[in-house]
Amino acid sequence: MMDKIWFPLTLTLWVAAISSILVLCSGVAIGYVFARHDFRGKRLVELLVTLPLVLPPTVIGYLLVILVGRHGLLGQMIFDVIGKGIMFTWQAAVIAAYTVSLPLMVYTAKAAIEAVDREIEYSAYILGKSELETALQITFPLAKKGILAGLILSFARATGEFGATLMLAGNIPGKTNTMSISIYSAFQAGNNELAEALVLILVFMSLLTIALTGRFVEKLEV
Amino acid sequence: MRLGVKVDLIKRYNEAEINGKKGTRKAFTLDVSFEMENELVVLFGPSGSGKTTLFKCISGITEPDNGKIIVGNKVYYDKDRKINLPIQKRNLGYVFQNYTLFPHMNVRKNIEYGLKDWEKEEREERIMEVLSLLHIEELETRFPSQLSGGQKQRVALARALAPKPGILLLDEPLSALDMKIRIRLAEKIKNLQNRIEIPLLFITHNLEEALLLADRVLILHGGKAQQFGTPEEIFCHPENIHVAELTGISNIFDDAYVEKYEEESKSAVLKSGDMRIKIKSQNLKSGDKISWGIHPENITLLRDDSDSEGRDENIYPAHVNSIINKGPKKRISLKLVKHNKSLTAELPAQFVDSLKLHAGGSCMVRLEMSNIVAFHGF
Repeated sequence: MMDKIWFPLTLTLWVAAISSILVLCSGVAIGYVFARHDFRGKRLVELLVTLPLVLPPTVIGYLLVILVGRHGLLGQMIFDVIGKGIMFTWQAAVIAAYTVSLPLMVYTAKAAIEAVDREIEYSAYILGKSELETALQITFPLAKKGILAGLILSFARATGEFGATLMLAGNIPGKTNTMSISIYSAFQAGNNELAEALVLILVFMSLLTIALTGRFVEKLEV
Repeated sequence: MRLGVKVDLIKRYNEAEINGKKGTRKAFTLDVSFEMENELVVLFGPSGSGKTTLFKCISGITEPDNGKIIVGNKVYYDKDRKINLPIQKRNLGYVFQNYTLFPHMNVRKNIEYGLKDWEKEEREERIMEVLSLLHIEELETRFPSQLSGGQKQRVALARALAPKPGILLLDEPLSALDMKIRIRLAEKIKNLQNRIEIPLLFITHNLEEALLLADRVLILHGGKAQQFGTPEEIFCHPENIHVAELTGISNIFDDAYVEKYEEESKSAVLKSGDMRIKIKSQNLKSGDKISWGIHPENITLLRDDSDSEGRDENIYPAHVNSIINKGPKKRISLKLVKHNKSLTAELPAQFVDSLKLHAGGSCMVRLEMSNIVAFHGF
């Protein structure tokens, strides 16, 4: 029993953590570009990033299979580089979690960055700072509350990710069975005891996240 | 070579661009050209006249469509030579209206931020120097949220001055402060300018501030420079109606022509409607179409019984339409009885009371000829 709880729990946290780190780095950068730059095709890119928010997870999963599956565009490249496919691995679970939680980060970060006074950034440029330096030293620190909120949302979304993960990483016990997938299969198998234990843990984790971030955000107030 | 500032630029905004950003505004063109030395030039004009756009072009936030901007020995922008120096390399100081201090850094860190490339010792020395220049040594470790408006303004100035900029741009730095601090800080800035010896451009739409601070005033209206001169010149010899209005002349008449001009006494007789008026002025010719006006403060009122009409110049009987209290002054709305012209006078309350003026009553109006300004109108 312990093993049946412990593995999904650590796997879920691991996948969500890796996905969140990736989401943080790329999502803030994309959010910054969306907030501060205009370029041709911006609307299209924005649409693409937003899509996972509205598409059913199974559709996202299917599209990802096409993209990173053995014969997919990226899948082929990955196979050439590492010599094996990544379907049905924990890395595939990370890709699924990343895809569905990225828009949450991008849009909260974008809103937070837009709220930073443009003239504060100009002041930094005038003092000789490049755009990158200014973003890292001025804009992001000032948008940190929004960025943190986006990170929490993304982490929570990654923790609960089900549909796309199931399509892409499958449900391989001891390998890709995350919490939400384990709950589903335990319930299917009539193992309500295990399902309930996992449900309780997930609820507790969510509450803990909310409580901790509440205190953390308070501390961020200058 | 004498270093100075040379600005000659055109920046056009078409309607769509402006509508995309904020609300509906008409297409707008900024077309300004001026030169200055190490002096304090005040940019004065109503909102929307292009003052801030000019600053954005000088600082490199916005790229002009055409022209040149040269500060000292640095060419910031030259369309013909395809030069557009990046904002980071212009080495200028810019104090924004809301100071834009970095809220997550204390005062020292704010000032230090523009000095990261300096040697440590020089940097320390420079920080102490600007802290003491602006008398803010005791604020060193405070954060912007712990500062008053006036303190923030001085920190923003210190931060802008720290890297020894070639020019200092101040965008309404006093507008967020209350009246008492305003005047004091305006004097400080004036004083500072004498010591730092760099060209200083200062935006305001407060006339008092402009006159108090400026070595010269550049009047902007509708994106065009209307007049560039000392406060005295601007105030006493406005060149057109925009300048006249901006300097507070509310009594303006555009229906006059020069009936007679005497070169010797530099005086002219104007015919304005059916009214004759004598003025002091230069460079006029008989027959010139002209506008004239007078500051409300410069109108003299005499008692009705003073029997002076016709004996002296520019004295007219008037009817008092209304009197409005305006603090220590009273604002009197007058109608010239014989000429169907309305005037507004603003005089000390005490004086108005001593004349026993009241709405519906009458008095004599005297327009001192040296106080009348004349300008070629439209």
